Amino acid sequence: MDFGYTAEEEKFRERLNAFLDQEMTEELARQNWEDLGVGPEAREFSKKLYENGFLGLPWPKEYGGQGLSPTYDFILIDELGKRWGAHVPLDIGYTMVGHTILRRGSDAMKKGFIPRIIKGEIEFGLGYTEPNAGSDLASMMMKAEDKGDYFLINGQKTFNTESHYSDYHWLAARTDFDPGKPKYKGISLFIVDQNSPGIDIRPMITMSGERTNEVYYDDVKVPKDRLVGEKNNGFYYIMEAIDSERNHVFVPARLWPIVDEMISYAKNTMYCGKSLADDPVVRSKIAQMAIELEVAQMLADNARWLELHDLRMTMEPEITKVMISELEQRMVDDAMQILGLYGQLNEKSKYAPLRGRIEWFYLHSFMPTIGAGTSEIGRNVIAQRGLGLPRG
Amino acid sequence: MDFNFSDEQNMLREAARGFCEKMSPMGYVLEMEKDEKGYTEELWQGMANLGWMGLIIPEAYGGVGLKFLDMIVLLEEMGRMCVPGPFFSTTILGTLPILHAGSEEQKNDFLPKVASGELKLTLAYTEPGMTVYEPTHIEVSAALKGDSYCINGTKLFVPDAHVADHIVCLVRTNGSPMEKDGLTLLVADAKAAGITINCLNTLAGDKLCEVVFDNVMVPRRNLLGKEGGVWPIIEKVLQYAAVGTCAQMVGGAAKVLDLALDYAKQRVQFGKPIGAFQAVQHHFANMAIALQGSKFITYKAAWLLDEGLPSKRVTSAAKAWVSEAYKKFVILGHQIFAGTGFMEEHEMPMYSRRARAAELAFGDANYHRQVVAGEINL
Repeated sequence: MDFGYTAEEEKFRERLNAFLDQEMTEELARQNWEDLGVGPEAREFSKKLYENGFLGLPWPKEYGGQGLSPTYDFILIDELGKRWGAHVPLDIGYTMVGHTILRRGSDAMKKGFIPRIIKGEIEFGLGYTEPNAGSDLASMMMKAEDKGDYFLINGQKTFNTESHYSDYHWLAARTDFDPGKPKYKGISLFIVDQNSPGIDIRPMITMSGERTNEVYYDDVKVPKDRLVGEKNNGFYYIMEAIDSERNHVFVPARLWPIVDEMISYAKNTMYCGKSLADDPVVRSKIAQMAIELEVAQMLADNARWLELHDLRMTMEPEITKVMISELEQRMVDDAMQILGLYGQLNEKSKYAPLRGRIEWFYLHSFMPTIGAGTSEIGRNVIAQRGLGLPRG
Repeated sequence: MDFNFSDEQNMLREAARGFCEKMSPMGYVLEMEKDEKGYTEELWQGMANLGWMGLIIPEAYGGVGLKFLDMIVLLEEMGRMCVPGPFFSTTILGTLPILHAGSEEQKNDFLPKVASGELKLTLAYTEPGMTVYEPTHIEVSAALKGDSYCINGTKLFVPDAHVADHIVCLVRTNGSPMEKDGLTLLVADAKAAGITINCLNTLAGDKLCEVVFDNVMVPRRNLLGKEGGVWPIIEKVLQYAAVGTCAQMVGGAAKVLDLALDYAKQRVQFGKPIGAFQAVQHHFANMAIALQGSKFITYKAAWLLDEGLPSKRVTSAAKAWVSEAYKKFVILGHQIFAGTGFMEEHEMPMYSRRARAAELAFGDANYHRQVVAGEINL
């Protein structure tokens, strides 16, 4: 056993931190973290990350990467997370779509998309969820008809969070309607130009102020070469990628800013002539946050390590996902309790502590236990796939 | 990074599992809880023959010279089968102060005999005044009289003192309770005049003792390290002890999970194995999260100790988290076994009683959270 990083990896982290000290602002972090929409600044930042040698290290050389260990991307995501940046600015392409293209896409698709993903030039919007296909994703009904030299797509997606600022839609749609076949055997994946005629994107605003979208397809034509891998195998590709996606998206490091902010708040806030940091209850709550994050980091490191070495993952990424999402709720609850009456003030209030960040995090914390699979589905996966319990 | 155990560690685990399952089945464990001594010579000798007593004692002192992570493997397996006896007291609590603070001569005097299984040791540090766990709260005093220290006072919750040959005592030679300065380590002969030892009646049936020192004379040559200056050593020893206890909890949790999984696949209600019901599956998922988290934070802490890296924050994080995770874990185990697990002769109570004992040993979550608070500059 060895829980250290190599000297090269540590050097990379150091160089990255020096860069982030200069370039990373809270506003930038909030652009991508809060999904307000990746704006020109975040795209510019993304390019700088590439130009300074921080993007693409683990990716294959033939598509513009450096062929190194995936650890470098994990370090990148961790360090961004510690500064309120939940992920790289154009993260759907970089942490999810790109890996599936590499695994399942044609050569032309790899050449066409991977170099631009690595350079931080393009972003994708995930197009999975439908009004009647949430946890039961395989029951999606969006229709893609094979018309010879193109697919004709009709239907509706919902909770497609990146669609309003991404260049492409990473779309899952039904290509086989035979009711005799299992539902998951008739789904295909497509890369659709987001500005194709017939696509209508309508905003949905969440309780924490993020924008997500409904996306309507009305006779949208998608060229044949935009089918990812084989027809009717899409659901399999989605499932195949899900463990790696969890490893890249559910990152404990992104919760450290709450601990840091609460430490500084407790030290700088007085009550009855004493610092809040001297109150054993306050100390205990903040310490518990740090303890649980330490444990979550080990769970994440273990799942990542399995991925790095192509070892079988059954429940490990799911364990991290359930743990971190619920930990966020516990942390925010404790933080709100420490802030007292002031905790309810949003960032527009002159009295808002910590720039209203905790108030926002409270609103946000309802999402991670739902998004990308609910905690309940996660626990089913852990019990059935991880521990071998029978399906009910 | 490497989350794998080495081949040698896997072999150690396999051998330990076989030995513990053979020598310490449930019937034996329950019998030993009621036994005055608490273990049998056969068990002790068996472990000694396998070289376990000297596992982390350097070869120069007759040991095997392995690392603490190797000991973690062993402790996990012992925790799995609730193996009784003074193994932990001897090899961790008694040995480490000698190893870290003892002179060459003292190491040569004690360690080879520990490694061979000839000597049993323990550490006496907790006291009746410690109504809230705080290892600096030491009142038992020792005063130098001629060539000996004279110890007076009562130590409480001293594990296995009733069978120990020597008791390593943390005493105050200066200052007042809660002061880190003025703490001193003395190795007392457990049979010395003036020592009275009584076993306490405990939840887990383990042997925690009251040790009364009434003008007990300990020769000056049995002073470990510097008079009045051993707090840093004790602090380190207690880190090892906390992480070792985490390993025992991890082993217990792994066994409970195995037992409960078997049961949930066999027990049929409403025409299905109960493991097919989501309510039950979610209990199992929570157990899996608790166990995985407990394992890795324990291994990380042990690794930091082995590497000589700063370990205070992570060892305290480990003890705080594992103590609470295991407590929740056994509650879920009981839910799965339901009525059958509530019976005295079932395995579940054996683990749930020990979960509490382990939580309280070497600082509970409340104590370790305060340590972590200090370590994150709060």
